[in-house]
Amino acid sequence: MNAIEIRGLRRDFPLPNGERGALRTALDGINLTVGEGEVHALLGPNGAGKTTLCKILATVLVPSAGTARILGRDVVTRLATVRPLIGCVFGGDRGLYGRLSARRNLHYWGALYGVPGHELRARAAELLDRFGLTAHADERVETFSRGMKQRLHLARGLMHAPRVLLLDEPTTGMDPVSARDFRTLIGELRREGRSILLTTHDMAEAETVCDRATLIDDGRILHTATPRELGALLSRHERIEATDVPAQLLAQMGTRSGVTSVNTGPDGITLIEVTDQDALTPVLRLLVDAGVTNLATTRPGLEEVYLQLIGDRGMDVAS
Amino acid sequence: MRAFRAGLSLQAALLWRSPGNLHVLATVPLYTLILLAMTDASHQAGLAPNAIIAPTLMALWTMALFTAGDLIDRDRHDGTLEPTVATPAPLAQVITGRICAVTAASLIAFAEAWVVGLCFGVHLSVHHPLTLVVGILTTSLTTACTAALIATLLVLTRGGRPYQNSLSFPFYLLSGIVVPIEVLPHWVHPISRIIYLSWSADLLRSAFRPEEPRQLPMQLIALGLLAAAGLACASVLMRRVLDRVRILGTLGHA
Repeated sequence: MNAIEIRGLRRDFPLPNGERGALRTALDGINLTVGEGEVHALLGPNGAGKTTLCKILATVLVPSAGTARILGRDVVTRLATVRPLIGCVFGGDRGLYGRLSARRNLHYWGALYGVPGHELRARAAELLDRFGLTAHADERVETFSRGMKQRLHLARGLMHAPRVLLLDEPTTGMDPVSARDFRTLIGELRREGRSILLTTHDMAEAETVCDRATLIDDGRILHTATPRELGALLSRHERIEATDVPAQLLAQMGTRSGVTSVNTGPDGITLIEVTDQDALTPVLRLLVDAGVTNLATTRPGLEEVYLQLIGDRGMDVAS
Repeated sequence: MRAFRAGLSLQAALLWRSPGNLHVLATVPLYTLILLAMTDASHQAGLAPNAIIAPTLMALWTMALFTAGDLIDRDRHDGTLEPTVATPAPLAQVITGRICAVTAASLIAFAEAWVVGLCFGVHLSVHHPLTLVVGILTTSLTTACTAALIATLLVLTRGGRPYQNSLSFPFYLLSGIVVPIEVLPHWVHPISRIIYLSWSADLLRSAFRPEEPRQLPMQLIALGLLAAAGLACASVLMRRVLDRVRILGTLGHA
């Protein structure tokens, strides 16, 4: 059974200042499957439909058409059986009781998920420790930094040990150390057999922690694959980065068969793209023979795939 | 019941951490002083119980209107409504628990008014203690049920503050908690009787009178019916409102 199964999912919103009946489509016939125990990233710019999809899966928003199932249960018709299975982390500054302590917040949310009284304290203490919040457990949440709030959101989402986790931009506002710890945590959750749908802007994050990633834009899915496959999708080319390449050699490179492009950036680093592995070796030999020793071969990162598929719009909000 | 207890305990903690929500209690001694001064100036010592009960009921109603009534809307504003709805806990139970905490806190007003009365030299005799206890309990229950209805209605009316303001003083007057209903025009009486506070005021006052509280059964039935009606309307409305905002996608809108 799949952890998440989405078929033809559509969600329209009335335009706030539009004509009567005018709609904006946030999700346009989405099909997506997340297997049990899989960590799946949903990548897309602001307004792509990521949060809308999370909200539908979290049962707080009803789709206009299509179906979504969590572990085989429909999120619209079987609320009572779906809700205990999922942990939602919407993130951000909102969504917690700022006047209360982190511990008190966790006790409350745990109680709403039916965690028995005697387990609440132990579970909250364990999660506070896991997220490095023990020292601040009894401080008001309103005094927390954004990164600390984000960690508390994650702890809240795990209070009832859900089988499926929906993480909407979970590392927003986290410092690099916390973000690295978060990636470690995702690995631990995967080993515990939990399924995770993670929305993010952070390509490195998706590349590091996810089994598969889905690129979404303007309410439509562009592509779903492993981060490595997505890299290969855009450019099957191998690349060489080198510094201090003689100008004469650069000109010679540009005319070689198997070399698709040669570009030198303002930082003096030359990027040479070749068609395949067979073309790579002769080019490397040529560089080494010319005395270029500062060089490396690289593959395109997920960020490049993402930016290429999304286009020039980048992080602009979809209209 | 777990959701109810969670709501009750959450709201108690919030009230403890945000005493500003109990600001109404700061006005109770002042209202009590004013009303006692009026009874004294008009040589109507017999109305002293009214001067003690009126500020108490005013505090209960104000807390129901402004603190309990705001609960859902404030949660929506703070982004806590969405994660609450996403849990398996029934929202109506959570909210009812929270409202009961607010109502229980409002009962401090009764002790405040009583103490002010003592300071003013007013020693009230409770002729029917059981009636007083039953009166306080049923009034609290009906207040909580009515507050649940208000909280749900305010979700529908975005920016409900003007409605809340307009429901305070007119209700004090219409319900006869400041001026007895008998003094009001006859045509107002049926309207007054729809407001639970009118029954509560009569019930609590009767505990301080030497004569037998013969109206007690009728008052209890009236309060019970109004509580049941408020709770039933709140439950149905809350379900419908939740369905509606999940369809419209406005659950998380501030």
